[in-house]
Amino acid sequence: MSRSHTGTAVRMQRFLEHWGVLVAFVLLFTVSAFKQGGDFLSIENFRNLLNQNAAVGILAVGMTLVIVSAGIDLSVGSMVVLAAAVGTTAMNALIEAGWSEPSAVVSGALITILAGTAAGALNGALIVFGRIAPFIATLGGLAAFRSIALAIAEAGEIRSQSPTMFSALGRGGIPIPFAENSAGKALTLSWSTVIFFVVAIVAQWFLSRARFGRQLVAVGANETAARYAGVPVAWIRFRVYALMGALAGVAGLVQSSRMNSVSTAQLGLGSELDAIAAVVIGGTSLRGGFGRIWGTVAGVLILGMITNILTISGVSPYWQGAVKGAVIVLAVLVQRGSRA
Amino acid sequence: MELPSAKEVGAAARATLPRMGVRGVTVEYPGVRALDNVTVDFMAGEIHAIVGENGAGKSTLMKVLSGALTPNAGELLRNGEPTTLRGPRAAIRAGISMVHQELNLVATLSVAENVLLGREPTFLAGIAVDRSQQRERARALLAMLGAEMDLDRAVSELSIADCQYVEIAKCLASEAQVLILDEPTAVLGEHEASKLLKLLRRLRDEGRAVLFISHHLDEVVEVADRVSVLRDGRLVARFQRNAMGVLQAEDGTVATEDTLAQAMVGRELGSIYPPKGSAKSGAIAAIELIEFGAADRSRDVSVTVFPGEIVGIAGLVGSGRTETAEAIVGLRRPVGKIRVAGAERTFKHPRAAMRHGVTYVSEDRKGRGLHVSLSSVANMTLPSLDAFSQFGGARIDSVAERSVVTRWINELAIRCARPGLPISSLSGGNQQKFALARWLETRPNVLIIDEPTRGVDIGAKAEIYRIIAALAHEGLACIVISSELPELIGLAHRVLVMRQGSVAGEVTREQLAEPGCEERIVRIASGLRAERQENHE
Repeated sequence: MSRSHTGTAVRMQRFLEHWGVLVAFVLLFTVSAFKQGGDFLSIENFRNLLNQNAAVGILAVGMTLVIVSAGIDLSVGSMVVLAAAVGTTAMNALIEAGWSEPSAVVSGALITILAGTAAGALNGALIVFGRIAPFIATLGGLAAFRSIALAIAEAGEIRSQSPTMFSALGRGGIPIPFAENSAGKALTLSWSTVIFFVVAIVAQWFLSRARFGRQLVAVGANETAARYAGVPVAWIRFRVYALMGALAGVAGLVQSSRMNSVSTAQLGLGSELDAIAAVVIGGTSLRGGFGRIWGTVAGVLILGMITNILTISGVSPYWQGAVKGAVIVLAVLVQRGSRA
Repeated sequence: MELPSAKEVGAAARATLPRMGVRGVTVEYPGVRALDNVTVDFMAGEIHAIVGENGAGKSTLMKVLSGALTPNAGELLRNGEPTTLRGPRAAIRAGISMVHQELNLVATLSVAENVLLGREPTFLAGIAVDRSQQRERARALLAMLGAEMDLDRAVSELSIADCQYVEIAKCLASEAQVLILDEPTAVLGEHEASKLLKLLRRLRDEGRAVLFISHHLDEVVEVADRVSVLRDGRLVARFQRNAMGVLQAEDGTVATEDTLAQAMVGRELGSIYPPKGSAKSGAIAAIELIEFGAADRSRDVSVTVFPGEIVGIAGLVGSGRTETAEAIVGLRRPVGKIRVAGAERTFKHPRAAMRHGVTYVSEDRKGRGLHVSLSSVANMTLPSLDAFSQFGGARIDSVAERSVVTRWINELAIRCARPGLPISSLSGGNQQKFALARWLETRPNVLIIDEPTRGVDIGAKAEIYRIIAALAHEGLACIVISSELPELIGLAHRVLVMRQGSVAGEVTREQLAEPGCEERIVRIASGLRAERQENHE
């Protein structure tokens, strides 16, 4: 295919395949800056972008690992709401049982993450030991996990009974030095953003520097060859789905503490698509065997910026999905040369 | 350029019309010349058998004839005129159909649907399939073959023999004038095979050109009107049935299983084989297989391999060699017993086998032996990754990893300038050396290596033989599975010959040194008994 191209065109194509996501990121960032005048470049705006997208970002990081293993997890949004519903209900029960607020909030947080891990482990068990295709097994999870959450709350909202601490987790953060908003108040980097960054950095490390990542790539690139090379394929695949569940639990914690409640019909709805889209935009191959977390992080922010630009430009929310869809397809077209 | 129909080609015209042919065809793969200036005609109304060792170029020739491969040089002839076939569909349109060894049927569709796949009778201007006519035509075609079967059954429920009939009926439905069959009897029992050969004769008598590849030399002698023998990509001998019905070469040699085997093999052992060492005497056996096999694929394989010994395993493709090896390291369900260094073991996973020093290098380098998309470094250290892991696997010691890779590059003379690049950028020989080195890094006591030099050029072959011999000299017990007989004869201390899932015979070290040893192995592998040649009429 590329033989007919000139040398420059080929080089251009290669460059875009690899760095296209960063080019797109810088481009969008510039467009946004112009659109919003001085405002966009403000620390406050960037902070908000991160805060709004931290939960999807955490899911997308996990999704990158799942997709590197040549799998897919459609149930992440439902795991988010299930984990949050279980965790918040447990926290409320502990507070009512007379536990002190700190111990109830910490226990609730742990239970949220554990509930997510359990749901993910169930996916993993069905896929690895039940030999069900990941698409099907997690499609089942997509339906089942949200249904359980709805049943717990009778399709309503679970309000946190924690007076201050739970919402402090969602709304507080680390003060950013020398930054204040237009009203002159000190700005903070929210805990959710901090968690997103920590998760992304650890995942990037594990993917490129740790044994688990190396084996994950081997399984995703060629499962049969991995088995022949003595890689514990079943254990690796099981673990990546359990890990995805744990991260869905973390995302559930981030979301429920931010809202100080869990809306069982709304929380995490459709976020599997946002997560998969961010992974694809980031240049990770849906065929497995290759992936990069930093690309996914850029993908999450690109999607977030597009939403912001469209909203600020007054584009109807009904049309925003069409624009996002076009961006996703474009990303795959640009990157498909060698991989996707 | 219409093909004359089968009926127009009367009995008189039979065997005079070159339906299909190749002139000076050469096919080159990187490092290998798979076909070298081959010229051969396939006549209407003849059964033409192509024989040769594995790797002699038979499959490549079939691919050229069926349009799956365009030769680097030479031309394809159809009815005596040069032609080109762009892909298998063009070949089918031109009346050339191929029955592959791994049959190309849609398992979930019915017999009738498969027979008329792609040429369904329709009504309503082509939008609806005329099911009754579909069944009627399928029934007629199968009846022509003398096969009766339930037309509505899914192909997945049929026996392999019945599948073959469906496949041949499919060729007839496409009005094939040239029928190419790749080892059609390899998977059949004796009775089914003789039925199939009868059918091939019928198809020939109706004026078709029938080509078939076979390892069963007895059936070649029985049914072929012409035989072409390929060796190392060259056409080395032709036999033709004369007026007396005797299959004879131009120099008068009469085709028998033995003369065919001789023509197939016909080469001297070069000096590419290092001198053979000896097994460590008095040592405890490195591995013992006791009535061992892979469930449903092989059985009753009993062999003991001592440190320093190289045991070869010969046999035709499909004789259960690879499956047995895979069962040893836990890639397939085993039956029977394994003793490693005197202790009985069962391995559930190659990882478990590796911990006890038993390793297997796959024959399928691209699909199983290596990860072609990953770097040479990642490939090299994958089986031994635990040794490079720190902090419970949280970090791979990349410095140690690099130095190990460099060590093996030097030790095995691997040409690999940048180990960080995908291993697919290396030549076959260098890839194979990495495939071997990755297991040597786990310090095995038993090395099972399957087709050690497949797709490897002659220079790298000699180096791989030298490496295997040196490893054995250092006390490694080696099992070498190979379809290249010279390789086994030149390398192994003794050779087991497998046939249809079990050991059909063993060739000792003394016998390996005798002339005619290759023919002996070919004869055992294809199930010919020694007395067969005396009884031959």
